Amino acid sequence: MGPGTYRLILGIRSLAIAAFLLLIASPIALAVLRLIGVAGANPGAWIETLDGNYMSAGAIEFTFLQSILSSLATISVGLPVAWLLGRYDWRMQSMIRAVLTVPFVMPSIIAAMGILTLTGDSALGIRSDEGTWFWTLIIAHAWFNMSLVIRFCEPILATLDPSMEEQLRLLPAGRTISGRIRHLWLPVLIPPLSASFCMSFVFSFTSFALVRWITIRDNTLESVMAISSPSAGIEGYMAFTSEIVLASSLIQFAVLSASLWLASRIQRELQRQYPLAPARVARGRFDYGWVFMAPALLFSIAPILSVAIGSVRVRTVESGRVADTWSLDGWEVARDGSFSMVPLSDAMANSILYATISLVVSMPLGYCIASAIHSLEGTNRRLSEALDFATMAPFAFSAAMIGLGVTLGVTKLDPAAFSQFWPLPALAHVMLTTPFAIRIMLTGLRSIDREYDETARVLGMGPLERLTRVRIPLMKGPITVAAIFCLAMSLGEFGASFIVATNSDWATLPLLADSWRGMPMNPLAEAASNAVATALAVMAILLFAAAERARSNERGGMF
Amino acid sequence: MNFENKTGKIGRTKAVALTIILMTAAVTGCLSSESENDNSLVIVTYDVYALSDEMISTFENQTGIEVEMVKLADSGSILSYLIQQKGTGANDLAIGLDNTYLQTAIDFDLLSESQTDIKGISSEAYSPYEGKLAIPFDMGHICLNYDSSIVDGVNLSVPTSLWNLTEEEWRGKVALPSPMSSSPGRGFMLATLDYFEYTTDSYHGFDTWWSSMRDNDVIITPGWSEAYEIHYTGGYGEYMPGYVGDAHITVSYCHSPGVEAWYNGNWTKSASLDLDRASFFQVEYASVVQGGNAENADLFIEYLLSPEVNALMPTQNMMYSVLEGQDLPEEGGYRHHSIVPDQNANITSMAISLNIDAWLDRWNSAMTEGE
Repeated sequence: MGPGTYRLILGIRSLAIAAFLLLIASPIALAVLRLIGVAGANPGAWIETLDGNYMSAGAIEFTFLQSILSSLATISVGLPVAWLLGRYDWRMQSMIRAVLTVPFVMPSIIAAMGILTLTGDSALGIRSDEGTWFWTLIIAHAWFNMSLVIRFCEPILATLDPSMEEQLRLLPAGRTISGRIRHLWLPVLIPPLSASFCMSFVFSFTSFALVRWITIRDNTLESVMAISSPSAGIEGYMAFTSEIVLASSLIQFAVLSASLWLASRIQRELQRQYPLAPARVARGRFDYGWVFMAPALLFSIAPILSVAIGSVRVRTVESGRVADTWSLDGWEVARDGSFSMVPLSDAMANSILYATISLVVSMPLGYCIASAIHSLEGTNRRLSEALDFATMAPFAFSAAMIGLGVTLGVTKLDPAAFSQFWPLPALAHVMLTTPFAIRIMLTGLRSIDREYDETARVLGMGPLERLTRVRIPLMKGPITVAAIFCLAMSLGEFGASFIVATNSDWATLPLLADSWRGMPMNPLAEAASNAVATALAVMAILLFAAAERARSNERGGMF
Repeated sequence: MNFENKTGKIGRTKAVALTIILMTAAVTGCLSSESENDNSLVIVTYDVYALSDEMISTFENQTGIEVEMVKLADSGSILSYLIQQKGTGANDLAIGLDNTYLQTAIDFDLLSESQTDIKGISSEAYSPYEGKLAIPFDMGHICLNYDSSIVDGVNLSVPTSLWNLTEEEWRGKVALPSPMSSSPGRGFMLATLDYFEYTTDSYHGFDTWWSSMRDNDVIITPGWSEAYEIHYTGGYGEYMPGYVGDAHITVSYCHSPGVEAWYNGNWTKSASLDLDRASFFQVEYASVVQGGNAENADLFIEYLLSPEVNALMPTQNMMYSVLEGQDLPEEGGYRHHSIVPDQNANITSMAISLNIDAWLDRWNSAMTEGE
């Protein structure tokens, strides 16, 4: 490689890293500075306010409690399913896996609407008992995160070299089931289970849409931040909200950083442990397996189905009597919109546009940064690790903090942009999707044998030719998966958009579903909300199906 | 994308740079431009139902002005938004600030005087604020509503004092919206200050009552709709999904039972509780935003206050019209089931602006300390 080309590549990569810092780090830094300017730089006082304010009191305990219980529930539900899926052969195996993992790509607002409908009067009828709300939230989180356990555990269960178990059976310690659990399955499964516990914990910890709709009066730190956001960062006005936001984000940052670091360590361990077969090992069928698998499949699709059914069920009240009728009225009002609600097509157009911007920005940026980290791994390991960690950092900021970063950060630079620059929500989406794109493509780059690149170089190919003729074809799978994840994440994004999209013309599908659900005195509100959520679910499922087709990596992991 | 143009590698760099510039523009806001179009009107509001599609279209057709809405969660969010947007000139008109937030908006110098000279606004509507920085467009009295089918003197006694609600029979049966996040909740909290005859150095009754309510398991909700729709047994919430129905008294408007009756063919089981100084007179305002297009904003204010639009407030917006001679309609028992309190709490806008932080602090302490 000539020095000119080397400098060009270095320049592009440096530019990408600078852009990443500018786009992602600077809004958050500006927001934090602004909040500190209002609240003062006393973390002790922030946390005291957080715990002492009626609006946020108990949020710390509630967040930890529900996250831990949700993660345990996720493992309890996910592990048996992963076991069944990994240890036995099933008809339509990939279809079953896709159905079981589809909840993870469902936008949280769909989960919220689906669970509300499922627990409501027309289905389980337990919603009117406030005592059920907490456990409903836990189960909702388990539904949402179950696929993490499947993604982490099932590949190991499916591909673990069968000779290990056979050999263990011959040994005294492996003759009993408990012995085999103790000496084989626990050591094998503890890393993926710990990784899925950590990730479930992270997602439950930052839960917003589900908490907003299911537990209502109990707040997570994330929902406290969202509630406090309108008046945060304003000098001389309700300064306590700035303290609450700072305290919440500080705790979140510390907890999420630790969890993500732990998950990443465990994942690294996971990649280098047990002898695995090159492909799935045929293990035969489980005669009564469907007794367990059918409820699991039902559990996976029930909230999505209930959203779809809820979109055509309209509640009518006549002379104090409630009756359900079936009609497309909910779809019609959602389609037409009203003064308060944008039409479904507008929200869909916004969602698609924001997703497209996220894709167009996150993918090249993600690729450049991933390739910078990858090439530094061979030359400067410490710098590569630092960069790797820096690109993981946005994961430790919740969507609400990113939303606040955009609103407070951008309004500091140009307040008018807050209400007039329509692509603004896309900036928040880019901040959320770019780290995912980096992670997926970095994994892809690491999986490419360096010899291919080296051989191409020896054959005289230039950097661009190697990129287009070697790397991109080899990276087709990860690139497609990353692209689809960018689109899916942006389409379903709720927390940050809730804060950023103040201009009602910018409403996205998740925001529209949320607004319809909250509309008082309208008998069609629930059906309309479900109609919007159904449209969103269909888009998410189509993207998920495309991702499944592109996914070539059978080793599992979150993506 | 084809990078193989005559500039070769520079094309790639340009593409990357363009992408970055586009997104940087988002950060710096350099692509945004202030509303320079004389034919537009940016209204900052919340879901004020009076601003219907039809009403906006009529205004647009009559004036040729294009209306753009920034819709926020509530009155408090409008105030926060205006403070954050101060000096941008991006917004022309704010609709929905009420008299609990208005003085703060004035103190922050967010509003401009309206040049309109609207006749016929009642003296009552002007009572919290008489100046030109905010023009009243609707009003109502915030008070306690109760379910008369349960609070019937047999199952539960109709309260004759707020202290009754701290008694055992009301344990866990009162749902109140939080004054931290709800306008009606804030209005009611302000009413309790006057009800308990606070003085500058004594909040004894106020603190004790709220602490006692906390000890009596009062249900505090983030907003009015959660209290009224999910918890209150007397309203339309019982027909809504997610209804819990564990509270027989809540905070709403004194004319809310009238609205219920109007929707239900002159039938309601909800009633308003008229306790002296336990209600709060709320007025909502339309205000020209400092630096905005005052001319267009005034045109909209005139339209909003025109008899043909403002007279529809009771049925379109579930609030009183501010015009003299207008009242709630007789139809459907609307007026019959609505009461006007004998004596509202007397708290001035100026006092609210000066003390609201301290009062919210006291409320917070009463609700959290000693638990």
